[in-house]
Amino acid sequence: MSPRLLAFAFAFAASLAAAPAAAQSVAFINPGKPDEVYWVTATRGMQAAAEDLGMRLEVRYTGRDHTKAIEIARELAARPAAARPAYAVITNDNATGRGLLQTLDAAGIRTVFAYSSLGPEERSEMGGPRERYKGWLGSIEPRADDAGYLTARALIEAGRRANAHARDGKLHLIAIAGDRTTPSSIHRNNGMLRAASEARDVIVDQVVYGGWSRDKGAEQADWLYARYPEARLVWAGNDLMAFGAIEALEKRGGRPGKDAWFSGVNTSAEALQAVRAGRLAGLAGGHFICGAWAMVLIHDHANGRDFAAEALEFDRTMFTLFDPASAGRFLERYADGFSAIDFRRYSKATNPKLARYDFDFGQFLR
Amino acid sequence: MAKRPARAVANHRPFRSLASSLLRRTVAVAILCTLFAAGVQVAFTVREENARFDRAIDAVAATHVPMLSVALWDIEPEALRRQLRQVVSQPGIAWARVRARTGQSLEAGDAGERNEANVRRLEIPYPEGREGAIGSLELAVDRSALYERLAERIVAIVLGFAVLATAVCSLTYAVLRDELERPMRELARFTTELRPDRLTVPLGELRPARAHADEIDLVADGFRTLQDGIRAHVETLDTQVAQRTAELEAALDEIRSLTITDALTGCFNRRYLDSRLSEEALRSRRTGQPLAVVMADVDRFKRLNDEFGHAAGDAVLKGVADLFRGAMRERIDWVARFGGEEFVIVLPDTALAAATAVAERLRAAVEAARFDCDGRTLGVTASFGVAVSADGADAASLLARADALLYEAKDAGRNRVLGEAAATT
Repeated sequence: MSPRLLAFAFAFAASLAAAPAAAQSVAFINPGKPDEVYWVTATRGMQAAAEDLGMRLEVRYTGRDHTKAIEIARELAARPAAARPAYAVITNDNATGRGLLQTLDAAGIRTVFAYSSLGPEERSEMGGPRERYKGWLGSIEPRADDAGYLTARALIEAGRRANAHARDGKLHLIAIAGDRTTPSSIHRNNGMLRAASEARDVIVDQVVYGGWSRDKGAEQADWLYARYPEARLVWAGNDLMAFGAIEALEKRGGRPGKDAWFSGVNTSAEALQAVRAGRLAGLAGGHFICGAWAMVLIHDHANGRDFAAEALEFDRTMFTLFDPASAGRFLERYADGFSAIDFRRYSKATNPKLARYDFDFGQFLR
Repeated sequence: MAKRPARAVANHRPFRSLASSLLRRTVAVAILCTLFAAGVQVAFTVREENARFDRAIDAVAATHVPMLSVALWDIEPEALRRQLRQVVSQPGIAWARVRARTGQSLEAGDAGERNEANVRRLEIPYPEGREGAIGSLELAVDRSALYERLAERIVAIVLGFAVLATAVCSLTYAVLRDELERPMRELARFTTELRPDRLTVPLGELRPARAHADEIDLVADGFRTLQDGIRAHVETLDTQVAQRTAELEAALDEIRSLTITDALTGCFNRRYLDSRLSEEALRSRRTGQPLAVVMADVDRFKRLNDEFGHAAGDAVLKGVADLFRGAMRERIDWVARFGGEEFVIVLPDTALAAATAVAERLRAAVEAARFDCDGRTLGVTASFGVAVSADGADAASLLARADALLYEAKDAGRNRVLGEAAATT
């Protein structure tokens, strides 16, 4: 076969392969609010991937309303077969995953858990991917421990550099976590606690749960400052609570980076700028990209390169710890979306040379 | 209530019926009882409400304090607010405040109920068995519940006593009116209308007849007994008066007859003779009818007296007088003792002949008569002078003429009658 013919044949085969992929429709039940930076960013990453990979993406926000998630799933399942999406990306936020999976699987919609998957207790009933629920293809989660671990480490380092030890010679840390139930929240906390226990000079005075809210974070921080006057390190489960805690400190007349140090998680513009300004001593982020990776996995599954060959469930490093320089690069490159990333390079279907998926967001900041 | 009687009451004191006095006192007692019972209820209710508040506090301590402790420790202001709202929704708790040891505070409920007196303080311990308190919970009693309950109970008491008092008063009034007031008024009316002439009018039935008697019946019976006594007394009095009057009249008659009668002979006396003879003379002159006067004298009476004693003389005089009176025309002729043994016989409407005949008959009767004296029988004679009034002779001259004729008869030998115009034997 001549190289031209070979090229043509290859192109034809590729077009045949691409044709059904272009028709792949995916629904994303977004657990956040349509104006919530993190979840909007996640949507944008997924949209960039869908564009690159020729997929149709429908995003539905639950507005952090648990019952709304199930409602949306039912609505999708109730559609006529032609209008029904072939795949759905779902989360297990607030333990809604089980209901979503059951509803969608019954309607023949294939599902991938992204961001958060079923926990061990839920699995004892539901089984794993492709076991009892055949439509459950797999799951991909950012290794949430990393976010907690990386930020706590950065925070402890900052405290040590500033010699913020209390009279007992210890660095006292207070933590404003997200919630008690979401696995990613639990993992972040575990990461934080791991970092603290590794450091011999750190005492975690208390962990409270700020519900991811800036106002509640501020309020709780205010109480905590009074309760633990010697605590100088404030770890937060996300950026908003970190900002709330910073505001509470400033209201008391303290200065972040001088009197106390803060860390958070997420890649909001405000957070990245706070890193550049030195108001945040630690910020981890990039896991919003998880949804985009789910699109890549679906794309590969639909195009005959089932990710099951590598793994059914991915629990990989996605978080990256920002320093002022990488924060600046992020703001430069991705302020208007993620079209700068070519997701075709990260798909096994479109990049057959790729042997193993790499989900680390750090690779986009080099 | 009771009508005031039209008639003024004794001493002009203002009238107040027994029923109204009793009712006033009953109402006063009811008011006192109401106040007392209300006071007791207030005390009980306050105690009860305090106990309720204590129970509410215990319940809060048992249920909410552990949760507040956790919420405080976890710094969950929403959960704290929710808990506080539940705490103040408990009956009896108006206001609640959580104060963290670090100074923050949250409150719920009506802060107007908060004051030193009714705020209780509970310590909120640390949730994990740590020593000391993470904060405190202050609770204020909900006084409005107390006041509501008090109002309810007092209204119930007042209503209850009002109904009771009204019932007691109505019953008392009805009984008093029927059993006491009406009969007493009837009795009072009856007694005030009592007059001497109506003293014996009987007291009627005051009330319808009944099986038992009461105090009113005793009074009425007593009154009837009194009335019977008076009536009996009055009746006896009439009889006595009639008897006394009769006795008096008899005495008066006796006195009157004594004043005109000679005690010894039973003939009219000299005084009566003087007055009546004048009347007879006047009548004679008026009618023109003759009036005869006979003067009689017992012969030799002085000797009889001396010989047989005065008692014999008196017996003779009495016998002679009886003879004279027995021979008279009833209610027309009459005899008077002129003095000593001398008698005057007055014969109205009698001419001389008839008078002389009468005198002669009398003389014969005396001569024939025998008089018993101390077992002896005496016989006497008498002499008579007869004068007849002609035209207008007065009593004195008539008497004088008859007396003169008597003395003539004496002189002529006694035991004879001597008439005026022609002397006869």
